[in-house]
Amino acid sequence: MVSTVTNTDVKQKDVDQAVVVAVTFAAVFEPETEDGSSIYRLGVALPLVQVLQRVNERLLEKNPAEHQLFDVILITTESWQQQQNSSIINSTRHHGLEVGRFCFSTEEDYIESLMQNNVQLFLTTDGNEALQATQQGVPSALLDTNWVSCPSEQLRVLFCEKAIFQLNMGSTEASKKSAQNFLAHLGQMKQKFGVFDSPLCFTLVTSHGGKDNCCCALKSLRSLGVSVDEAYCLGGAPRGPILSLLRPHFLLSDGFSLLEG
Amino acid sequence: FQQNLEPDAKTTGPNTQPCGTPQVILESEHLALILTFTPLSTQISVFLQPKPENAVTVAVSSRVLFRTEREQKVFEQKGVEEYLRYQIEHENEPFAPGPAFPFVKALEAVNIRLRELYPQSEELFDIVLVTYNHAHVGIRLINTINHHNLFIERFCMTGGSSPIGYLKAWQTNLYLSADAEKVREALAEGIAAATMFMTEKLTEVSQSQLRVAFDGDAVLFSDESERIFKTHGLDKFFEHEKENEDTLLDHGPLKGFLEALGKLQKKFYAKGQRLDCPIRTYLVTARSAASSGIRALKTLRAWGLEIDEAMFLAGAPKGPMLEKIRPHIYFDDQMFHVEGAAEMGTVAAHVPYGIAQKYNSQQKMSSGK
Repeated sequence: MVSTVTNTDVKQKDVDQAVVVAVTFAAVFEPETEDGSSIYRLGVALPLVQVLQRVNERLLEKNPAEHQLFDVILITTESWQQQQNSSIINSTRHHGLEVGRFCFSTEEDYIESLMQNNVQLFLTTDGNEALQATQQGVPSALLDTNWVSCPSEQLRVLFCEKAIFQLNMGSTEASKKSAQNFLAHLGQMKQKFGVFDSPLCFTLVTSHGGKDNCCCALKSLRSLGVSVDEAYCLGGAPRGPILSLLRPHFLLSDGFSLLEG
Repeated sequence: FQQNLEPDAKTTGPNTQPCGTPQVILESEHLALILTFTPLSTQISVFLQPKPENAVTVAVSSRVLFRTEREQKVFEQKGVEEYLRYQIEHENEPFAPGPAFPFVKALEAVNIRLRELYPQSEELFDIVLVTYNHAHVGIRLINTINHHNLFIERFCMTGGSSPIGYLKAWQTNLYLSADAEKVREALAEGIAAATMFMTEKLTEVSQSQLRVAFDGDAVLFSDESERIFKTHGLDKFFEHEKENEDTLLDHGPLKGFLEALGKLQKKFYAKGQRLDCPIRTYLVTARSAASSGIRALKTLRAWGLEIDEAMFLAGAPKGPMLEKIRPHIYFDDQMFHVEGAAEMGTVAAHVPYGIAQKYNSQQKMSSGK
């Protein structure tokens, strides 16, 4: 049984124009509460939530009537979490997080919840959740606990071939379309800022194939309206050292496919 | 190419990219093999992409590999947004070759010879384009690389951030840039680096043999002797060198690169190609053969480094000698020599290391530059 609760502390975003991003409870909070209270401790994704907030602030500075903002939803994906709904609401308000809504679902129905809420990007620290959601057509990204927790003034998004570790993703046409829509939104948000001092930083990393592969990816992203700041063509060299320098908040690989099938 | 793929190599089938360039990519734990089927030719170009730790990685910036003066002007006069717009507008116009271009071509010629002799080896030159340019310029750079038939399959466009971290991640053996500040940063991190300048006059260099020339003090060796010379004069310098003839000089920033070249040279010698070796190294120093030069030679020998030709000029100008040698690149720590070489058409790169830098800037100030 899915229930959606509005966070009255936070001004609600425009249903049609906002870009809905769902983040799991397990990413935002630690599973234990602070001693003697029912307030959950903040987890690895705090800097991510804060930077999404920061992007919104910068967008509103440019245009106080801006509606194309990030609308952050906190979603539970396990029954025990669903049962903690009031503590979760309290914890969110206590920490002053800009979360617009809560979706209290379980492992059975969280995907349904994502679809009901028109989630355009689902962020989780759990690989299986990301995989399953993508297979059902919801663009997802796996948060890497190493980098997502680096504080940053910029939302750092990385485009690459393998964002979720399994090779045979089984992405559907529908999920590709949704991913492209999301990318188009990102591109539009970025266009509102100049090259310097932008709250959004997009990076392309191609691990396999050569420069022509990378060139195609740049053109493909450009055709979606996404302008990339940094590009790394690794030509087979290991990705790890470069990623640890880039420290992206999340990786996207859908919507501008490099290697089909 | 059916030979010798690792037994655990995974193949992905041939596939057509959205841009119409079919590629087959095979990967194994040790190497990535990229086959590109170019639609215009019936030849298949096959090249090994070595793992960074096995290759001699040479990182070049876009401003030294190509000529970008016009674009630089746009950037300086009209700002970054206009600069990027200009680049995108001219995306299909390839850049002209820059000062590092002949050097890079020569590295590729060596690779071809190495692959003939050692088809499985990863001990090759790996050329990486490292630029702090914005990725908007990426398509133009890739088009240019293709236009000139360069084998560069790795690059970093950092969009303004410092490339130093990436240089280290790529285990860079040599970094060439137009920006002295970046070069200094690299040197401070222990990466051999030098600043290159565009010259109008360029003498023709060999297409088949890579020639690299080095100054001695503060390039291959430390600047200790240079310090003595600058502070106490020539007599004291000679005295000091005589006294310390048997003491090895400390190493300088480019010693490692000479070493890397030496390792590749030995691979040719091992196959009986000493006379026909496509790599040749030169020492061009102001030291004198009879006196101060001895210490330099003893040091090189103790390091196990061979240098093919050593020119002891005893203070004579380096320009004419370099003009005879025609190196693809000459490394010197003093701008005076770099400029002198450039006047005679030699591509010279400045290594901003050691005591001479204090005097470089003083010279600049006094000559009112």
